[in-house]
Amino acid sequence: MQQGFELDSLTVIPGTLFAGLSRDRFYDYDVENISKISGVKAATQVMQIGNVTLYNSRNNKTVKAFVATAVNFTDFVEMFSDRFVFENDVHPTEYENDTIVIGHKVNYPTEDDIIPFAVANDTIILTLGVFNQTHFPPYYELNYSFTVGGTLQKKGTPGITNFDYWIFLPLETVRDIYDTLESDLIFVEVSDSEESERVAEEIEGLFPPYKVTILVPLTFIKQVDRILTIVQIFLMSVASISLLVAGIGIMNIMTVSVVERTREIGILKAIGAKSSTVLAMFLTEAMLIGVIGGLIGISTGYGLSYALAYMLSSFMQPQHQGTAFQTPETQKMTITPVFSPEWTALAIIFAIIVCIIFGLYPARKAAKLDPIEALRYE
Amino acid sequence: MTAILGVRKVRKSYRMGKVIIPALRGVSFDLEESEFLAIFGPSGSGKSTLLHLMGGLDRPDEGEILIDGSNILELDDDRLAELRLTRIGFVFQFFNLLPKLTALRNVELPLTIAGISEKETLQKSREILKLVGLEERINHKPSELSGGEQQRVAIARALINNPKIVLADEPTGNLDTKTGWEIVQLMRKLNEKKDQTFIVVTHDPNIAEAADRIIHLKDGVIEGIKETPRRKKQ
Repeated sequence: MQQGFELDSLTVIPGTLFAGLSRDRFYDYDVENISKISGVKAATQVMQIGNVTLYNSRNNKTVKAFVATAVNFTDFVEMFSDRFVFENDVHPTEYENDTIVIGHKVNYPTEDDIIPFAVANDTIILTLGVFNQTHFPPYYELNYSFTVGGTLQKKGTPGITNFDYWIFLPLETVRDIYDTLESDLIFVEVSDSEESERVAEEIEGLFPPYKVTILVPLTFIKQVDRILTIVQIFLMSVASISLLVAGIGIMNIMTVSVVERTREIGILKAIGAKSSTVLAMFLTEAMLIGVIGGLIGISTGYGLSYALAYMLSSFMQPQHQGTAFQTPETQKMTITPVFSPEWTALAIIFAIIVCIIFGLYPARKAAKLDPIEALRYE
Repeated sequence: MTAILGVRKVRKSYRMGKVIIPALRGVSFDLEESEFLAIFGPSGSGKSTLLHLMGGLDRPDEGEILIDGSNILELDDDRLAELRLTRIGFVFQFFNLLPKLTALRNVELPLTIAGISEKETLQKSREILKLVGLEERINHKPSELSGGEQQRVAIARALINNPKIVLADEPTGNLDTKTGWEIVQLMRKLNEKKDQTFIVVTHDPNIAEAADRIIHLKDGVIEGIKETPRRKKQ
């Protein structure tokens, strides 16, 4: 799956939004416990380091990466086989302690870049920021040498993490650098996406209350779906009311028209028009109102939906820029209205049917007029 | 001559609030083919009611109205409409043309209702408008025509389907004497030329004199039937 959500993938984050993001971390045994839950296919932990700088000694180039992610390569390649795809099929035969994998956007920072920042087997000097309170100054930078194992293909933004902006380092090496056994995130793959909510609940049960947040794509999709359903019901009820009002309006106009043309109807009947002819005449008129009204409605709807889509798109800006979950590519979300010929035709047919239904009463009224009385009408 | 239309003991009354007003109180007569008949009488004598009954626009309370020997009152509303479309033509006092349509379109109307092809409709309408002397005015609307011209359009419309019977309700009532006389002469000419039966309701004795026969109606009964010198000549 290259686009949309990876429904079978859960992300476990320490802390909750309500309790504030705590400094809690995960450990190896957390991953082990999660792996034991039934329905979990695989689980892997990652550690994330903020802005890092990469220097390639071969071509003397420097780039910055938003997120350096320390991973267990073996697990990672298996879990994200769709997204963790190497450029030109050049991938490491073995992941060493100094292997680095570079995301597409880090390797080609701008659209114009044709020559990559690095290729496999290049030596990269990585500058990492370290924060240590026992040290003075508490923040300092360290340089480490890594060998490029491969570079990734461009994959866009499936779900909430965009590998294009990431670089990947071996978890054990980074743990050694920081002298820690902790990790920041756990990625979980479930065997059946339908079970993802149950699995998420069980994972939550492993931790004390309010210690973890689990991002479940299925739940997110269900919530969006629920909101859309509510919006749809609301729009339907507004539409039904407008339809009723419009229908009564049509009935009113046509009744007035019948009264105004009483004499004409009398003349037509006197010269031999049957009641059914008069009925057909007025129903045709109602149908014409439907066709013209339908066409006006469709063109108005066309214009309005583009205006609305434009407005909504400009509202949908991300709140947290530059974090692990928001990357420059997710910043703009565009909504494009979809017009299908079937629905357009259906709308016109519906408009015609409404006009005929509400035109029936005045048309029958006209058809039933007594010719002599109609002729006397002033 | 054979009777094309028969009126037998026809009675008709109207209810106005709680009062019942008798309009026709037992009227009987026969009409021969290609006859030009005038129904003459003061206003309120029931002549318009009689005309509406003969044209199948209304139904009597009692009695029979026979066209070609069959009682039209046994026909349902649709059949009556068909009869009005194919066998009867109406001419009214106030012309009753559709104001938004041109003279040509007004004349075409019965053919359009009958579902005749557009080509034939146009050809027939032009012919008949020429016959009533309006070939120059076919694209004018009623508001652009004089009273006499409007009545000619109405006559053309009444004749377009080649009906056996033409019923005219005070056709000259809304016209000056000279124009009125011209209209009667036109109807007379058409009656002789096309062998159609004409029934003209009028309260003008001069117009009535143009007919073959005059039925004098008063208070809903026939007071007398008079044959004019024209008839006697035949």
